[in-house]
Amino acid sequence: MVRFKNRWLLVEFIPSAQIVPSREPEPLTSRQIYSALKESVVSNFGDTGWGAVGFSLTVKYYSPMTNICIIRVGRDQHRIAWGAVTLLDAIEGRKVIPNVVHISGTIKHTQLAAIEHNRVVVARYRASVKQAAASQDSYEQFLNTSTREIEALQD
Amino acid sequence: MFFDLNVPVSSPSLPQSSQSQSKKAKGKQPASTQPTPTVTYTPAQITSIESRIDLLVHLGYSVFALNQTVQRKVEPKTHINTLDPLLSLLKKRSGAVFLKRLTIILDEESEKGFGLTSSNASLFNAYDLIALTPTTSSTFSSACLTHSVPSPLTAHIISIPLTLPRLPFYLKHTLVRTAIKNGAVFEINYVGAMGGDDGGGGEVGVGAKKNWWAAAREIVRVTKGKGIIVSGGVGNETDLRSPKDIGNLITLLDLPQGAARHTSTSTPKSLVLRAQTRKTYRAVLSEPRLVIPAPSLPDPAAIAEDTMADTEMPTDQPTSVRPLDSEAGPSQSVAEKNEDASGRKKKRKKKNKDSGDGA
Repeated sequence: MVRFKNRWLLVEFIPSAQIVPSREPEPLTSRQIYSALKESVVSNFGDTGWGAVGFSLTVKYYSPMTNICIIRVGRDQHRIAWGAVTLLDAIEGRKVIPNVVHISGTIKHTQLAAIEHNRVVVARYRASVKQAAASQDSYEQFLNTSTREIEALQD
Repeated sequence: MFFDLNVPVSSPSLPQSSQSQSKKAKGKQPASTQPTPTVTYTPAQITSIESRIDLLVHLGYSVFALNQTVQRKVEPKTHINTLDPLLSLLKKRSGAVFLKRLTIILDEESEKGFGLTSSNASLFNAYDLIALTPTTSSTFSSACLTHSVPSPLTAHIISIPLTLPRLPFYLKHTLVRTAIKNGAVFEINYVGAMGGDDGGGGEVGVGAKKNWWAAAREIVRVTKGKGIIVSGGVGNETDLRSPKDIGNLITLLDLPQGAARHTSTSTPKSLVLRAQTRKTYRAVLSEPRLVIPAPSLPDPAAIAEDTMADTEMPTDQPTSVRPLDSEAGPSQSVAEKNEDASGRKKKRKKKNKDSGDGA
């Protein structure tokens, strides 16, 4: 049975701290990430690259709070898409550093890795803030909602 | 454990001495007429370097080599080691190791000599790694042949400028193979793929990316993937990438996945160890150990093994490591390894016995 196999990339877009966000810009959407990714594939790998990758490329989830993005690609061409993610340096004019945290063949492990990553980020925030229960409420709620959103993702 | 062996540090000095090209233009000290013996760093520079290292640790790197670049040649009188004061100013990190590296960019005028001589050896002992960036074919051949030979002045890293529109010299396969056999490695800086400044005087932006893909692919082809390390060379923070992403990029250069992973883990690791041999004689890291086999009486089992040993080919044993074996006589030690060496001697002794019997 020739099954169509996928690769799920968990990418963290680290905003570059050089440009100080004096005015808070509106957060990115998955559509903007998709168009930036498409542009990167076309400029780095040409039209043939886009032909290889484009059919199965989807941006499934994006969380502006933790800058986490889940991208799905077909398994045979995932290297091209991964290379395009690496060579991406700006989305909508904002400089980012893409960091692929996890890559797996099923959505289940990507969900687990995403939840784990959210937990680590929240722990880092809490450690830097060092407050008591007051700020924890908002983080707890955020963790719950994001976990629910991530687990709701379907193939 | 991932290595980034090229973290360029812009030195806060003085237009007179030949210094590095810096991509961050803020925080430089005002030019003074006389070179000061000590170098001081402004707090702004320290914070920018600290944030760069924070980002690198976040991305997954644990070993860094801070890089000081020198153009053309090292002047023993005016050369200032800018990295030693920096290291004392950085805060302590438990998971990170810092090394010091000196890169010398060679061009036509360096062909006559650029200060990497034994008389200046004291200068170079302060650095853990020495790298050369040749830009002409004669400097490239001297870097591969003379400077990779084990000595206190070995330049273990040969860094090829990747963003020039055409590689200035042809990478001759014999030179490359000699360098790798001597223990040098070739370095690919991934900053060129992002369009950043490579330090070899090449282009930036879109042109740099095209040249980078062509030149990096050529290096991979000539070295067959064996003596390559990948490092940053990144001046602008936005060009940093995590080691797994870089491994994937290298895979796109036709290097197999396992070899691509080696370029940022095991090859730089063995390079750093090898670079420590600059402090030893002729790159010998261990001392030969004398092994004295325990004497034992010859028993029937030994004689049965002896007849078997006659029929098999004597293997090449490094007899210098066990100098006392010849004096051990007909002893059969328990270890299997000794059997081949002593098997050969048993053959001789048997022949002697036969000749003795015949005579």
